[in-house]
Amino acid sequence: MNLLNYVPGDSFLHKLNPVIKLAAAFMYGVAAILCNNVLGEVGFIVLMILISYSSGLGDRAVRLTKTLIIIGMLMFVIQLLFVRSGDPLLVIAGFCVFTTGGLISALLLSLRVVAAMLPLMLLFAITQMNDLCNALVKKAHLPYRYAFIVTTAFRFVPIFTTEFHDIQDAQKARGVDFDTKNIIRKMQLIAPLCVPLLVSSLKKVDNSAMSAEMRGFALRTIKSGYKDYPFTWRDIAVVLVLAALIIFSVLFLK
Amino acid sequence: MIRFENVSFGYTRERETIKNLSFHIKKGEFVALIGANGAGKSTISRLTNGLLQPTGGHVYLNGKDTQTTPSSVLAKDCGFLFQNPDRQICENTVRDEIAFSMKAQGWPKDKIYEHVNAALETFSLDPEWFPFSRSRGERQRIALAGVLACEPGLLILDEPTTGLDYLECTHIMDYVTKLNQEKGITVLMVSHDMELVQSYARRVLVLNHGTLMGDGPTNQIMKDAPLLKSARVLPAQIPELALRFGDRFRDIYTVEGMFAALYSMNINVEEGD
Amino acid sequence: MISIKNFGFKYQNSKTEAISGLNLEIADGDFVGITGTSGAGKTTLTFALNGIIPQKIKGDFYGEILIDGKDTVEHEAEEFALSVGEVFQDIDSQMVASIVEDEILFGLENFGIPHEEIGARLKKVLKELGIEDLREREISSLSGGQKQKVAIASILALEPKYIILDEPTGELDPESSRDIFDLLTKLNREKGITVVIVEQKIMLLCEYVKHLVVLNKGKLEFFGTPNDMVSKIDTFKDLGINIPRVAELSSRLIAAGIYSGEVTLTVDEAEKMVREVLRI
Repeated sequence: MNLLNYVPGDSFLHKLNPVIKLAAAFMYGVAAILCNNVLGEVGFIVLMILISYSSGLGDRAVRLTKTLIIIGMLMFVIQLLFVRSGDPLLVIAGFCVFTTGGLISALLLSLRVVAAMLPLMLLFAITQMNDLCNALVKKAHLPYRYAFIVTTAFRFVPIFTTEFHDIQDAQKARGVDFDTKNIIRKMQLIAPLCVPLLVSSLKKVDNSAMSAEMRGFALRTIKSGYKDYPFTWRDIAVVLVLAALIIFSVLFLK
Repeated sequence: MIRFENVSFGYTRERETIKNLSFHIKKGEFVALIGANGAGKSTISRLTNGLLQPTGGHVYLNGKDTQTTPSSVLAKDCGFLFQNPDRQICENTVRDEIAFSMKAQGWPKDKIYEHVNAALETFSLDPEWFPFSRSRGERQRIALAGVLACEPGLLILDEPTTGLDYLECTHIMDYVTKLNQEKGITVLMVSHDMELVQSYARRVLVLNHGTLMGDGPTNQIMKDAPLLKSARVLPAQIPELALRFGDRFRDIYTVEGMFAALYSMNINVEEGD
Repeated sequence: MISIKNFGFKYQNSKTEAISGLNLEIADGDFVGITGTSGAGKTTLTFALNGIIPQKIKGDFYGEILIDGKDTVEHEAEEFALSVGEVFQDIDSQMVASIVEDEILFGLENFGIPHEEIGARLKKVLKELGIEDLREREISSLSGGQKQKVAIASILALEPKYIILDEPTGELDPESSRDIFDLLTKLNREKGITVVIVEQKIMLLCEYVKHLVVLNKGKLEFFGTPNDMVSKIDTFKDLGINIPRVAELSSRLIAAGIYSGEVTLTVDEAEKMVREVLRI
């Protein structure tokens, strides 16, 4: 989970408007998807890592890239086995296992996944969930109800993680053997973990709803938001640069 | 029963919650572990039953090193009553809930049946109750019944007063005391309620910032005001009151004792007039 | 003033009444402690004091509850939310944001407090509770005592007339519990906020509150100042209510005719009593 945690900072990227951060991450992803060139995709990944270094997020970017590459490799294998174009590259016992076309398209697809996902993942490092939702309500007029659901879901993640951990401890202390290799026994472990978690989360969600209602949740309007998220020259510059990047990608990275 | 040998523990590498701690608890003792929040009380209780592993030194439970023994094996020697019973209750009936630990520990069926029935009777619980809709006090009682049905040699109580009212708490503590006296079960109680400690524990370990600051008979610790203050613990009322009069009430720790002493002293005063 | 007349409530799907025949008046500026064994109806009462019962939680409602003259049956719970703030029992689900500042802003924004005023109120409430340094912190990284203070701050920011707390010190150690009580006393004394607190730690209640409410099985067993308890101490013991040891001692001395003063609630008072008894 700490791959998606917010990293406090004061960099150029941190100072962007949250809506622009989201838009920029998407635009970067679109540029990467439109690119049709293996070297170009590598370029997108490297560029993203360099940008991250400039904002003090280099380590995070490298770790995220590694994680995404694992997902990419999975796509690579599937694509490699299913795409049949170009010349046969590996033939075993008269059966063509994969082709040159397959290799290139698999490589391209897996790199594209990494290049397009990376900025979206990095978004979490530079954006507070609350800020993003508040800004989306203010600037993009997203209904507050939905924004609140999203922030609440994110907020509950650490709470439920601790809760889950405590439940696991409680069951271990009763003699439940979580290290068992036996599949059937493993399946039986699901109930003692999930039932208490379900019961406590239902209670928490219920209480949370009541607490929000009693603090005027239903009265909220777009104007209610206290924090303003004005666009600045930075935001405009970033959007322009990314628009240029998309055009560049379409024209030159075919 | 429990032996800590130069135990250190830290949740993170930089900060140690427990520093070079050694103590020994013998079979049949009733020990309270006291200290402010963050003193390391809960950490010690979790080190004892292997939920946490020491980063330095060794913890022995019944002679077994907790680092080499799986927690599911340690659980057979050590019953643990958590603050919040909701983290363990997972069965649809009280009967199944009490049987759960014994099943997990691989007890024979007829033994389980026998012990569940005995536990239901002792704790006056209805076997067909749906545990989740019972009150907090009843849920805690169900949890304790399940723990004690396994007849552990050691019982750890983690803040037994949390969420319970005084009456429920007294019931639980009286029963635990009976087990301690009659069956010789060892009890380790983590608490910051000094009245509770005063009433039930026979030995007290005082903890502050992960180090052991005091270890002795309850009455002695209760009268050690500087020690309790430095451990950020509020003393129990009667011992504190007694302490304010120096030697006059030296061996008095309870309301009854104080009342009797004042009664007899007052007669002397009246006669002196 | 909150006035409760012949109030009774039965939850849906419940056979018995959680509270019945309750008459109580909570005056402005009072500091009321509610105690009683579990199932006595304490939480039910707190929900009734701000209209959650009967507006949000349905059931059979008897009698009448007036908050500053407004009937809770006839008005939406939100109408009372600005004058009666409540800190719920489960502190994690009380919170709605992940950052302290956002938590405090939540109510202010929702109730449409003018934006020029919000900033000032935020600063003021952080200062009053001494938690200025927590402003940017993640709530999940706070200690239990700090979380309670944030919860109180987020309610206090709405400048309520009444504040209701349901076992706020349940999971705190004695030091932090005292901290919370000191804070509430300050708010009560300096700002005249009426405080209603449900609490198991009767020793703290005796020391801090102006009036004590003891509930038993949904009925009012006692309402009065902690000093008035003296005649009731044996009853309370039978009900399973934990009486401060020094209060018990003083009541026994009074009964035995050795001491003729008031019941003692703190060790300091008890010390005076012992000195008087022994004439030293």
